[in-house]
Amino acid sequence: MDKILRINMGDENGPKASEEPLGDYAGLGGRGMTSAIISKEVAPLCHPLGKGNKLVIAPGLLSGSHAAQSGRASVGCKSPLTGGIKEANVGGQGAQVLARLGYAAIVLEGKPNDDTLYKVVINKDNVEIAPDNSLKMMGNYDLVDRIKEEYGNKVACISIGQAGEMKMAAASIAFTDMEQRPTRHAGRGGVGAVMGAKGVKVIILDDTGMPTRSPKDPEKFKAANKEFVQGLKKHPITGEGLPSFGTNILTNVINEAGALPTHNFKTGRFGGAGNISGETQSEIMKSRGGMLAHGCHKGCVIRCSGIYNDKDGNFLTKRPEYETVWAHGGNCGIDDMDAISELDRMDDDFGLDTIEMGATIGVAMEAGLAQFGDAKAAIKMLKEIGEGTPLGRILGSGAAVTGKVFGVERVPVVKGQALPAYDPRSVQGMGVTYATSTMGADHTAGYAVTANVLNVGGSVDPLKPEGQVELSRNLQIATAAIDATGMCLFIAFAILDQPETFNALVDMISAFTGQSLTADDVTELGKTILSFERDFNSRAGFTAKDDRLPDFFKTEALPPHNVIFEVKDEDLDRVYNW
Amino acid sequence: MILTHGESRRDSPFFFNPKTPFILIHPMKTKFKNNVVAKISLTVKPDRMSLFSPLLGQGFTLKSRTGTSVRDLLCHQIGVSDDYLDQRIQTIFLDGKVVDDVDTAVIHQGSSLALSAAMPGLAGAVLRRGGAYAAMRSQISHKNNTADDSVENGTVMLKLFNLVALELGPLLLKQGIWITGKNLGNFFQRVPDFFWDGCLTVEIDGISQDIRKMPLMGWKQEQVFLKLKLENE
Repeated sequence: MDKILRINMGDENGPKASEEPLGDYAGLGGRGMTSAIISKEVAPLCHPLGKGNKLVIAPGLLSGSHAAQSGRASVGCKSPLTGGIKEANVGGQGAQVLARLGYAAIVLEGKPNDDTLYKVVINKDNVEIAPDNSLKMMGNYDLVDRIKEEYGNKVACISIGQAGEMKMAAASIAFTDMEQRPTRHAGRGGVGAVMGAKGVKVIILDDTGMPTRSPKDPEKFKAANKEFVQGLKKHPITGEGLPSFGTNILTNVINEAGALPTHNFKTGRFGGAGNISGETQSEIMKSRGGMLAHGCHKGCVIRCSGIYNDKDGNFLTKRPEYETVWAHGGNCGIDDMDAISELDRMDDDFGLDTIEMGATIGVAMEAGLAQFGDAKAAIKMLKEIGEGTPLGRILGSGAAVTGKVFGVERVPVVKGQALPAYDPRSVQGMGVTYATSTMGADHTAGYAVTANVLNVGGSVDPLKPEGQVELSRNLQIATAAIDATGMCLFIAFAILDQPETFNALVDMISAFTGQSLTADDVTELGKTILSFERDFNSRAGFTAKDDRLPDFFKTEALPPHNVIFEVKDEDLDRVYNW
Repeated sequence: MILTHGESRRDSPFFFNPKTPFILIHPMKTKFKNNVVAKISLTVKPDRMSLFSPLLGQGFTLKSRTGTSVRDLLCHQIGVSDDYLDQRIQTIFLDGKVVDDVDTAVIHQGSSLALSAAMPGLAGAVLRRGGAYAAMRSQISHKNNTADDSVENGTVMLKLFNLVALELGPLLLKQGIWITGKNLGNFFQRVPDFFWDGCLTVEIDGISQDIRKMPLMGWKQEQVFLKLKLENE
């Protein structure tokens, strides 16, 4: 992983690939790589769909090795949804294969002179950029089937569906999973629209003949990895809860907490939650011959995904995640697991962010386009997006645009990006992260619950409410650092609870890189990444007023606890003071 | 002690204290405002037991002493072991508020108590009892109070989620639980077809019934006493 592949889609002689050494970007991976390149090379005031923007795809520092859970990739650009910097994190096979091919990043630059659609084929010997207009307006599933016929069942695909081609601001980029299905998505921020603007339909990665990446100290690495895996398997969350119920294990609990945004953030409890809970979902999956514990990439031992079959026992989609179940479920008043799973399948096929889509349909329902709970209407709306009808184009632009077009006041977005599945009035610390994240409202921006273990930013008294800003800051720093490693964020719980697992992770990274890692190094890396991102956003015109939740969170009390968001603006402005 | 995945010790002392009997879930001692009740007894194959987890998550009623702590209810009345409560039940809601201290949070008449294992995500860490991120949800934290002198008999709604439902559920279902007719009817209507093949007998108020008619019954009862029996037990 010692080179960067740049593909200039706007070269006067047609798309052109070139390789270069890492240079100033040496030692960076994942989000560290994407945010460094975007911050340094993209003019902050450029149009996100113009030639000045770049799309960066970067595997994590440990991707392509035997390190468990190291298959996350980062996709970065200037976001068409927020207008700021974007890193969308994704599983699937792409990170592992890209890293084994030796690339620390692929950078798509420039813009084609016409509307020709291209496919990019990368193997150990060659990079081929070929026009293929026969792929136009194909959904991700049909597209991958076509690629499989031509290139076999070993390649990994990174692709866009119709939404990306139409440059919709909610468009995602699909990464194929172990079964070569386009089920894993760099979902947030409209990264698919940028890939569409570059004229690239699919990147095909073939690592045949390439070895697994070797650590500097193989014996120490092997021992640490073994200890790390044992730690993940014995922890009740990573070893039992997630494999049994997936991330949707959260639905009942968040609902009980009164923090499940329901009917477009009107209440915090959904009466139909039990019908779409992880417990119910797992029983449906089991009864139809689906699979409960399944990884999204090779080397995953947590296996929080799964296979959701339809009523006839045929594959419909991967196990819809908690955020998807919330977005298309409680937020839209839908308590039909099959309808939610069909919506998930459509999102993956069209190439759309499930969170943004659920929030958008919720806003559309609030506007009166359909009744809350009307699953058929939700499916119809999503079909309109795939077909690119005028209404579909509006909805595909996300919740903020939809709210403006239809005159809705309660629009749950920050920096133009929809809030995820936790109401910030009930979980106020999460609201601090939603408001101040460089990414727009993002539940993963402050996800790394390792912050206290790492002692990032000093320790905070957990029982004092005034610590919320400090907690959010520390979590955002730790998360940015972990996003750079390519590790799945779900490792955080085993690390938090089991010191020996945390030590194993540190030993594993040290053995792989040959450098000893300290907590200070982690903190510094996280701060550096956030500084890149914050600086870019500042130059793009973002100010403190963009680090705010919508007004209704401060004025409308959320049942059942009847709470409003109470964190003061001046406290939000302290998050980045370090 | 934390059990590892697949380990089957659900009747072990880790889950329940064998010295504490289930004296409080007896159907004949329980009175409700509306006496329209029914007793339903199902015999099912063991692998169908987990299908009842969603039902347990919707809540069932227990007759209990109220005015006492969460620990008293779970460990001294129901019989959950202290180890299980302290190690496994990491997320607790009392009347929708997050409980940090099971020894000082007090159950009142009509309270709702929800129990869950540790949850993933930042939200999971935030909701964990006594966790490092408790401050991030202080608005919905249960304000601890102390037990008073007015301990009396009453009823409590218990909800079991995820691994806790899988682990505590079977024994409670075999003892019998009170649930609303509405929830039971909803359960019968939504349960996968696979369930019915493993549901061997059903009796309502002691009279044998046609299993396939269960989803078609009105289930208007305010409360139904549901008791499971496993095949070959």
